[in-house]
Amino acid sequence: MRGSRSSTSSWTDPVTGALRIRGNEDAALAIFLLAVAVAFCILVPLAWPLDALRGDISATFKPPMTTVGGHLHPLGTDQLGRDLLARLGLGTLMSFGIVLVSAAISVVLGTALGMVAGYYGGWVDAVIMRLVDIQLAVPFILLILLLVSVLGPSMLNLVIVLGLTGWAIFARVARGRTLEVRELEYIDASRAIGLSDAAIIFRHVLPNIIGPQTVLLTLDLPRLIILEASVGFLGLGVQPPMPTLGNLIGEGRSVILIANWLVLYPGLMIGALVIGCNLLGDWLVRRAESKVS
Amino acid sequence: MKGLRFLLSRAVQGLIVMLGVSALVFFALFLTGDPAVLMMAPDSTAEEIAAFREAMGFNDPIIVQYGRFLSEALQGDLGTSLRYSRPAVDLLTERLGATALLALSALLWSSLLGFVLGAVAAVRKNSPIDFAIRVISLLGQAVPVFWLALMLIILFSLNLRWLPSSGYGSLSHLVMPSLALGAYYLSAITRLVRASLIETLGENYVRTARAKGLTEWRIVVRHALRNAMIPVITLQGMYLASLLGGALVTEIIFAWPGIGRLAVEAIQNRDFPVVQAVVLFAALVFVVANFLVDVAYTWLNPRIRL
Repeated sequence: MRGSRSSTSSWTDPVTGALRIRGNEDAALAIFLLAVAVAFCILVPLAWPLDALRGDISATFKPPMTTVGGHLHPLGTDQLGRDLLARLGLGTLMSFGIVLVSAAISVVLGTALGMVAGYYGGWVDAVIMRLVDIQLAVPFILLILLLVSVLGPSMLNLVIVLGLTGWAIFARVARGRTLEVRELEYIDASRAIGLSDAAIIFRHVLPNIIGPQTVLLTLDLPRLIILEASVGFLGLGVQPPMPTLGNLIGEGRSVILIANWLVLYPGLMIGALVIGCNLLGDWLVRRAESKVS
Repeated sequence: MKGLRFLLSRAVQGLIVMLGVSALVFFALFLTGDPAVLMMAPDSTAEEIAAFREAMGFNDPIIVQYGRFLSEALQGDLGTSLRYSRPAVDLLTERLGATALLALSALLWSSLLGFVLGAVAAVRKNSPIDFAIRVISLLGQAVPVFWLALMLIILFSLNLRWLPSSGYGSLSHLVMPSLALGAYYLSAITRLVRASLIETLGENYVRTARAKGLTEWRIVVRHALRNAMIPVITLQGMYLASLLGGALVTEIIFAWPGIGRLAVEAIQNRDFPVVQAVVLFAALVFVVANFLVDVAYTWLNPRIRL
């Protein structure tokens, strides 16, 4: 155990146990990146005057910072003369929205199944855990492409499929935590005073699981962001003209010779979101570890 | 014997997983009700669809169909491609070499470099070098493989004109796909080796080695790295599924003739037997690789050795 303590102590002050500056700088950077991205995807669709879906056909492929007909295009325009800033704003909103809703589906489903598996044990546990194994054995993108191609590409289908394919990790962690909590004395006490299983799971097991699941969610969001972008890139996500981070890059790919900004900026936005979530998740993990030690 | 029993139970689990995946890919086609409508061109007549349904055996009870699918799959028959009228397995094996080359080369360079960077970061913990390595590994995980691939194409093909932007056949064709695909694993492995090695370097036997006067690098290479490898190897197996997923997108960008491109083309052409074959194959690779990881784990970890 010495080793694990020394690995966390590099982030905490050896005397007071307080977090060192560097750890908090990470959190500050993470919150800054995420706040900028969220503000961007809310403010641009609301306040930016140019249309994300309709363009000016006389202003195609204008590089960033070009002014055409009195309109400034800070990030340039695409093959139909649409303003990239407007499209990137709406695309980020679409992608981030899809990711958050499907993450919510994954967390709820995975946590519920994991708690049931851990609480009841036996064959229920065995069945649910084998489902987890099956889920994790198939590359996510392949499974999602298969399901989306059967069901047809639409936003609703994408959200459902992304949500249903992401539950396995949450179930695994929730089960592990439930197994620990189940052995605690107050669970026995709750059973002794006649609380139902459902009441015990909701009132006494769930509160112990929410913390770890939140951390896991933060660390899982980057995977979902990149997955959603990949599906969009391959043209099986939300359909044009509606932009998403992935289909913006997919559309820009064919004209990369003449307009590389169409690929560059959506990718940077994905990078900002992913780095923000990763730094925040790592910081939350370290904070939880330093509390334990 | 403990180790043998562990491996045996893992093998049984692997079989169950494969059975589950086979059910998944089989029943996925029935999600919209009628697989015949799904597979036929949208402008087919009702008679054509009915004839196709009869020919494919979709009129039989679904359990009978699944049993037939399963027994044929066990004999190496995963159906016939609707587009190419050839066995799906043949299409798959033709493309296998290209994907294996891409995936293994990406895994090789990223693992080697990741071990070196992770070890340096762990030994020089909290130094500027450690910080620089941490920034590299954050950036490597931050961008999707397809975006990185496009940036590499802009730099190396369009601006510098050093490498071909797509194609297959020579080493220069392999460089960019392998770089793009391996970047994510470089980050993951670096982080993992660093964390694992820092933990190992605090153990008592490492202190003993240090007390004997061995140099720090000798301790790392001869003693600590072996134990630090256990979590790294365990996770290599888990990464394999996402490696195959990443290869899929990479192959599309670089027109790499592997199974990823086969799968995406099959999905676009509604060639579902081929899609099923690819998914089953990917799962099989994952299960086998994870079993090998378990074998390696048993071998490396004396506590559960045979």
